[in-house]
Amino acid sequence: MQKILAHASKLILVVLTTVSLFSCSKEEDLSNLDDTLFVRHKNADMPAYIMGNATEKVFLITLHGGPGDLGLGFRGTAFSEIERHYAVVYFDQRGSGMSQGSYSENELSLDIMAEDVLALVTVMKRKYGYDSRFFLLGHSWGGTLGTATLLKDQSDFKGWIEIDGANSPARLYDQYIETFTTTANTQIALGNSVDFWESVLDFVSEIDPVSNKDGFLELNNKAFDLEKRLEEDGFLNSPEEGDNIIYNYNILTAIWNSGQIAYILVDEQCIFQTTDFSGRLSEITIPSLFISGEYDMIVPKISAEIAFENIGSDIKELIIYERSGHAPLASEPQRFAEDVLRFMDRNK
Amino acid sequence: MTIKQQLLPTLFLLFYFNPGHGQNKLKTERASNEISTSFLDRTEFKVAYSGSIFWNNGLNLGAEYLWKEYNITRNRKRGRRTNTHQFLLNGNLGFTTNFNTQTDTGLYTNFGLTWRRTNKKGRQFSIELNPLGYYRSFLPETYEVDGDRVNKVFLPGRGYYAPSLSVGIGKERKGKIRSGSYFNVNFTLRTPYNAGALPVFNLQYGFRFNFKKKK
Repeated sequence: MQKILAHASKLILVVLTTVSLFSCSKEEDLSNLDDTLFVRHKNADMPAYIMGNATEKVFLITLHGGPGDLGLGFRGTAFSEIERHYAVVYFDQRGSGMSQGSYSENELSLDIMAEDVLALVTVMKRKYGYDSRFFLLGHSWGGTLGTATLLKDQSDFKGWIEIDGANSPARLYDQYIETFTTTANTQIALGNSVDFWESVLDFVSEIDPVSNKDGFLELNNKAFDLEKRLEEDGFLNSPEEGDNIIYNYNILTAIWNSGQIAYILVDEQCIFQTTDFSGRLSEITIPSLFISGEYDMIVPKISAEIAFENIGSDIKELIIYERSGHAPLASEPQRFAEDVLRFMDRNK
Repeated sequence: MTIKQQLLPTLFLLFYFNPGHGQNKLKTERASNEISTSFLDRTEFKVAYSGSIFWNNGLNLGAEYLWKEYNITRNRKRGRRTNTHQFLLNGNLGFTTNFNTQTDTGLYTNFGLTWRRTNKKGRQFSIELNPLGYYRSFLPETYEVDGDRVNKVFLPGRGYYAPSLSVGIGKERKGKIRSGSYFNVNFTLRTPYNAGALPVFNLQYGFRFNFKKKK
């Protein structure tokens, strides 16, 4: 009995020691940050993973797509290069990734999520100093959220980088129909996968021309098929696999969270039918960089072109990546890193 | 046809389908077992790995107190088979973390009832229902923002109601201090979590101990 108790207490001691070792905060080295902190705001606790070189206190805050994707999903060749120069803040938005909390569905809205991003900036300033400088980057749905954030308060940001961003998702419905039709006709004229593209034209002809949720979801799903076909036919580079982040998330939790938030925002609140910032883009006056893939079918490049035309910034740039679809950061990572770093260098 | 002849088929059917009749009556016998009154005799302690292997890993400590026990004997083609059925009051305390990140660490406790069947070879099947459960997450450095104010949170984390259900198999070691081993699949619901509830699946592999046993 005593022997067993002694063994059991040894085992518990080993476990507790191991746990305490792992939970000890790391010594902060600003040139190579690897920090995790949580932002508590309006009943949600959201993790921010801060990585890279913060010696200049320049932080690139990233907003993932989805809604419901993973903050660390950006990591890969392009962001490794960016991290060598500046610190990158990967943020799991409310209800996404490893975010947790306890709130009602009413507390899950674009407006509150934009406030969350501003809360993150407040925390970053408190943690790293009020002389810190911030850039905001949004991909896809992150483009919607980033635009909403900047329209709330852009004073803390040195620049806005929108990657295939859905800054006015209510317009996507018509843009899908137009882009699918144009792309299909071009590909048929080139003699590429003619049967497939003819079936795309049939699909488009059967879609209700008046924007509606079900039609939108059908078009959105179809967009992935189109991009896949363009990739197979050699029009765009295969996106590189990102860093292995599978162990950074409990994948079951992340998948469940993603389903929940997508259901509430997309199905219940019809956020992609009701959100249109195109009339307010002129209010955004900070330096802005728009990057889009030539063959982006999920958020067609016309969205970036309209945003570029209407943004209120004096310093603005639009770059179309010829060998990319919806993920230029993964299809043309080296060029992407260079363009982002150049923009940050100029405007920091 | 006489009345006797008319009644015969009816009587036959009645006898044939009467569940208490003849051979059928012997098919199932149920007998309550005498249980020791000693607390330590009736209590087993358990320690187990608990986690999802790839992400969360942790330790689960618990105790089971034997509440009721009975044998059920059934006649089968290959003879009589007696299984022991037990109802146990159950309590657990556990810790879980993702060693790769600091975003999924928590302590939990739950209480409930376990039903366990043990065959003559000591093989066990159990269902453990813990309706009273609590999970407390522990977060790394956390700052709370309220308007323009930002404050560092002391002991950050959140509490969730966390009932659980485990289904598992095991092996009994009669008369031994390490009185058995088990493998469970555990399902826990954390609620309210975000704007709904979070289902969590874990595997548990561990050992039971009865410190009153001799060996």
